Amino acid sequence: MHYDLIVIGMGLSGLMAAKTAAEAGQKVLIVGKGMGSLSLFSNSIDVLGQLPKTMKMEPHRQTSDVDTKAHRGEHPVPEDQFTHEQVSGHLGTGMKDGLSQWIKDHPEHPYSKVGLEKIEEAFSSFLSLFPPPYSFQAIDNMNCLLPTGAGTLRPTYLIPTTMVGGISFDGGHTLIVGFKGFKDFYAHYVADQLKCRGITLSLPDVPNQEITATALARLMEKKSFRENIGREIKKQLQGETRVGFSALLGMHNPFQVKEDLEEIVGAKVFEIPILPPSIPGMRIFNRFKEWLIQKGVTFLLGYSVSKATLKGKRCERIEVFHPPVTTSYSADRYILATGRFMGGGLKANMEKVFEPIFNLPVPQSKSREDWFEKNFFTGAPHPIHQAGILIDSTFQPVDERGDLILENGWVVGSILAHHHYIDEKSREGIEIATGYMAAKRALAK
Amino acid sequence: MVAAPLPGGALIYATLRLRLRKKLMDKQISPKNNSDVCIRCATCMAVCPVSRVTPKFPGPKQAGPGTERFRRPGEPSVDEWIDLCIGCHLCDMVCSSGVNISELNLIAKAKYLDQKGRPFRDWLLTHSYLYGWFGSLFSPLVNLLLKGSVTKWIVEAILRIDRRRELPGYESSTFRQWFKEHQSKGHKKVAYFYGCHTNTNEVDVGKATVQVLEANGFEIILPPQRCCGIPMLGNGDFKGAKKMALYNVPSLLNTIRSGSEIIFSSTSCGHMIKHEYGHLLSIPDAEEVAEHIFDIFEFLRNLIESNGLNAHFKELSLKIAYFAPCHLRALGIGLPALEILRLIPGLKIDNIEADCCGMGGTFGFKKEKYEISQEIGRDLAEAIDRLKPEIILSDCEGCRMQIRHLTGLKVLHPIQIIRDALL
Amino acid sequence: MKIKTEVLIIGGGATGVGISRDLALRGIPSVLIEKKDFASGASGRNHGLFHSGGRYAVSDPEAARECIAENRILRKIAPHCIEETDGLFVSLPEDGLNFRDKFLRACEEVEIQTTLLTRDETLELEPELNPNLLSAVKVPDGAIDPFALVLENAKDAEEHGAKILLHTEITSLILDGDKVKGAKVKDLLQGEEYIIEAPYIVNATGAWANQFLKRVGLHIGMALSKGSMLITNQRLNHSVINRCRPPSDGDIVVPNHTVSILGTTSIRLEEVEKFEVTPHEVSLLIQETSKMIPAIQEARFIRAYAGIRPLFQSEEKGNDRAISRGFVLIDHGKRDGIQNLISITGGKLMTHRLMAEKTSDLICEKMGRDVPCSTHLKPLPGSNRPTSLKERLEQFSTDQGETLCDCELIPRKEIEEVLGGEKLKDLQDILHRTRLAKGTCQGGFCVYRLFGVLHDLRMAEGDSNKILKGFLEERWKGIRPILWGIALKEEELIESIYKGIFNL
Repeated sequence: MHYDLIVIGMGLSGLMAAKTAAEAGQKVLIVGKGMGSLSLFSNSIDVLGQLPKTMKMEPHRQTSDVDTKAHRGEHPVPEDQFTHEQVSGHLGTGMKDGLSQWIKDHPEHPYSKVGLEKIEEAFSSFLSLFPPPYSFQAIDNMNCLLPTGAGTLRPTYLIPTTMVGGISFDGGHTLIVGFKGFKDFYAHYVADQLKCRGITLSLPDVPNQEITATALARLMEKKSFRENIGREIKKQLQGETRVGFSALLGMHNPFQVKEDLEEIVGAKVFEIPILPPSIPGMRIFNRFKEWLIQKGVTFLLGYSVSKATLKGKRCERIEVFHPPVTTSYSADRYILATGRFMGGGLKANMEKVFEPIFNLPVPQSKSREDWFEKNFFTGAPHPIHQAGILIDSTFQPVDERGDLILENGWVVGSILAHHHYIDEKSREGIEIATGYMAAKRALAK
Repeated sequence: MVAAPLPGGALIYATLRLRLRKKLMDKQISPKNNSDVCIRCATCMAVCPVSRVTPKFPGPKQAGPGTERFRRPGEPSVDEWIDLCIGCHLCDMVCSSGVNISELNLIAKAKYLDQKGRPFRDWLLTHSYLYGWFGSLFSPLVNLLLKGSVTKWIVEAILRIDRRRELPGYESSTFRQWFKEHQSKGHKKVAYFYGCHTNTNEVDVGKATVQVLEANGFEIILPPQRCCGIPMLGNGDFKGAKKMALYNVPSLLNTIRSGSEIIFSSTSCGHMIKHEYGHLLSIPDAEEVAEHIFDIFEFLRNLIESNGLNAHFKELSLKIAYFAPCHLRALGIGLPALEILRLIPGLKIDNIEADCCGMGGTFGFKKEKYEISQEIGRDLAEAIDRLKPEIILSDCEGCRMQIRHLTGLKVLHPIQIIRDALL
Repeated sequence: MKIKTEVLIIGGGATGVGISRDLALRGIPSVLIEKKDFASGASGRNHGLFHSGGRYAVSDPEAARECIAENRILRKIAPHCIEETDGLFVSLPEDGLNFRDKFLRACEEVEIQTTLLTRDETLELEPELNPNLLSAVKVPDGAIDPFALVLENAKDAEEHGAKILLHTEITSLILDGDKVKGAKVKDLLQGEEYIIEAPYIVNATGAWANQFLKRVGLHIGMALSKGSMLITNQRLNHSVINRCRPPSDGDIVVPNHTVSILGTTSIRLEEVEKFEVTPHEVSLLIQETSKMIPAIQEARFIRAYAGIRPLFQSEEKGNDRAISRGFVLIDHGKRDGIQNLISITGGKLMTHRLMAEKTSDLICEKMGRDVPCSTHLKPLPGSNRPTSLKERLEQFSTDQGETLCDCELIPRKEIEEVLGGEKLKDLQDILHRTRLAKGTCQGGFCVYRLFGVLHDLRMAEGDSNKILKGFLEERWKGIRPILWGIALKEEELIESIYKGIFNL
């Protein structure tokens, strides 16, 4: 079967690329195994959690309360300086300046290949999939800190409605609620670390005493359950104005769940990211899936590409092996969005790191000894994280000399070289921006 | 053993070869398991419908690769909860490491049930092909009985088939009987694997398939066929499933080698033949059959590529919701029914945003699993309710049964709408 | 504060704890101090091999004899610490059969029961072995859980009146002329310093022997030999697999609960504290062991670790009382003029009970008491935990309650029991007493949950995230040497969780 575009990989970058192409009326196939990091980590949208140190804060922010020795990415600013206006896709001046500076400082970074203007467009495109009531917003054009399941604060940029209540965390006015039998979130752990109060509720009718994230999220979507726990929490409130839950306020109707709970409890409700699986990430995935299928994109979840056949510098077709049948798909253009090691986009044997589908060159340290630092927590990222696929300014893969490798191929997402999304806190941003941009480039060629 | 039309000596040779292979297969060590590649990321847990509704099932992360490290071949199985795996394959679809979770579960289930023993009820549920003809022959009486509350009470008490579940009614004339009277004409021959349920319980699905294919210029033939074996496989009865496969494969192979492709309308039968016969059951030559067997909509979609599809449809103003069965997803062909349906003018089609219907084939009939089946189905019912369709379409008979049971709405196979839309 | 006892034992490894138990059963009160947790030295970092003695039959028959005798005793007294897997000494084509025949004869000499298996019989038993093997000899090897062994010795000792003080370090020895009188010690948990008075002192510090003896200006000839091991994700073999050739590197694969342990190497070290598994050792172990089990080439590893063997280098004869070439019992009175100070070193986990027996005999001799040893007769107290894989699976299937460690199927109940037990200093202490974090993800999910449980039980002390980071750092030491393939994927996940989601 022939398509205009085949996207290989179903993480956020692949999904964005597919969306961008589908919107332009292209016949698209997206094939991938797994959901990328959406099912694991993407609770909110990181753009650049680690802002450049040289960045100046906006004038009216420079109060004496600002801790200039704060860790990278952390900007503990008093609550009254945040507003909660929705920013409809455009990057606020704070982030814009930050990105601008970053691009200047890191010309090889994927953001630099996209450019500020297109980054904004990409985010607009992403946000258009999430109209109110369950929408994403930036708070006052800047990163803000959200509490995590380990009781730490984490900088992020675009926040879903259900997490907004966690901004400007105030221990004195927040209650953390956990559930007995749910082992991926502990209210007391979070509360002790964040210096606030925590309670653990028992779940009625859970005979085995263990409940999974999806089961709990599902229960949350039942009105009777919400009423039960809501009443219980209200009873136990001691003047707190905010209540934090683990990030499972429902898979399908999180906004409804939040609103309802807020009404019953009488306090602002928010969710806190936890160990995988990530329910908020799944919401993003499901939304993309729904949209793409509606648009007529062929959505092949569950299959990985086993082989790509090239003729010279053109990819002619890809093969998907689903035992015992091998099916070929061909397209005019191909976008590689297979992620890093977890997704199988990059593989490592004892000697080297390689890209298994197109065998694109991966610049890397000579020996395995140099892939990782001696310590787990290091000042700089582990060298292996910088390894990835090299691209030119149009997102097409090149070798170390800069020569084009694939005439009709583009590469997006975390598989790219020259970034380290963990330290930078830029994973989702890179995925969205590069997925969007590369698709635009591909369609233009 | 089906005698292939080969000259005498070759026939004997083929028989012997098949017997030897069969012997080897019986001794075969189970398919190599991939649990070593599991990185414990718990993505599978995000999609498992069973662990979403009941704490009795630990979920794919545990059930498959987790406990696999503890299982030893010589030791008895203690996996009391393993038969709660509904076999939806959703975990496999989302595992980026490639762990064959549902296969691990199935093999463990087979071992557990082989050891524990299967109740008569399970034999009954998985061998319906043996008495389907009887149901059809005496359909008015049988259907009456099946609906009767007394029968249901008795059936529940003795067999532990939940009385709340509607048992599928039989049609008085089977699909085969209809086809015998039907003169199929066309330019090219194509073979149809209709499946047990189409033959005795939903004959119109078979009729529609035949009519659509004929409208596209094909003459339909029916190769000798038996139950595909998926009910047995789903219950961990590898032996029973193999028996069915060993009958079907030579027959289908014969058809293929005579130049006809094979079509199926039931995605469960199709997935079984295409992907489980070779890989899981190691039936010789199953790979060749797999190359030449297609879902009806996949086949029609392929016709589009060669400009051979009769897409002359009349306008149908219906509000329809389509539900993709688990086995369709597991076939990896996308959603071809949606693509074809979209060619019908006036049709409003929504894809239902839900994963598993909860029927799981024989799973939903069993008393101890009925509640789980219903809870899973509840999510689907809510998704349908949001769409408020007039008719619901699904390619799997199990899904159709479940959706009727959950919503009381009209549920058809998409091929029936295509047939209705033909000019 | 002052504690008075008869014997002060320094070192909480298998030997020290064994002595504590032996003395206790003889009715002699003792105090054992250990600066960390039980089995912090070689006792906690070995191959887990329950020797039949076959490995020494040809090269060191005396040691072999000791092994098989202890093998029989330990089977009787500590059955729940041992998995009776049997062992195979496999002859590959390059080994020829000469050594095998020598091996058979030598085993017969020292009364190690052997069964010669043909190639087909061997492959029937262990289908994962190299199909080109020539033959194999079955011996009564097994797999032992060293920590359980040490813990139970300790339990029995305490039940019979011994006192054991963990996280207690010696700061100085107290002498009265040429006799030992006791020691000044420090409680590392509370910070308190106090005195333990004891007329007899046993140095059972293993590889730290000289660290200890330095305090009284003494020194014994020790060779520190590092042995490295790799752990596979899945159990590849069910018997212990040995190479039937003169002992060398990469000769042994031991099954242990859900995994297999490949070992080992032998590298001289100068320091006792800093050591790591080198890339060369990793390659060597894979290369050598895969000759016996080809699947090792593609196997996934979850951890690498090393331990230090305290080997005694004998000096001129006559100055020490070498009981055997296996272990050494040194009477510092005779050798160095410091009375009633004894060092016991060398040896292996297999002979810990025998070492303890000899040490206790010497002490009794010095005390002028004639009480016989009974450690070979009295069984160790058991535990109620599942010991076999099947039992663990059964527990998982039938138990109600949360499973904290998904990889090793450890229920929350078990952790709460551990936490409710003796006073534990830190996370490592907890981890020693359970199989939590020993599975595929090496604590990636369950250690976080463990902290959650600590907070739930209001038992968390200090900054949990700091401790969690410390754990991840410690864990990294065992992970870094095996980072390729799937292990690398796993680490991407772990990093993304802790540095990503949790921003640690």
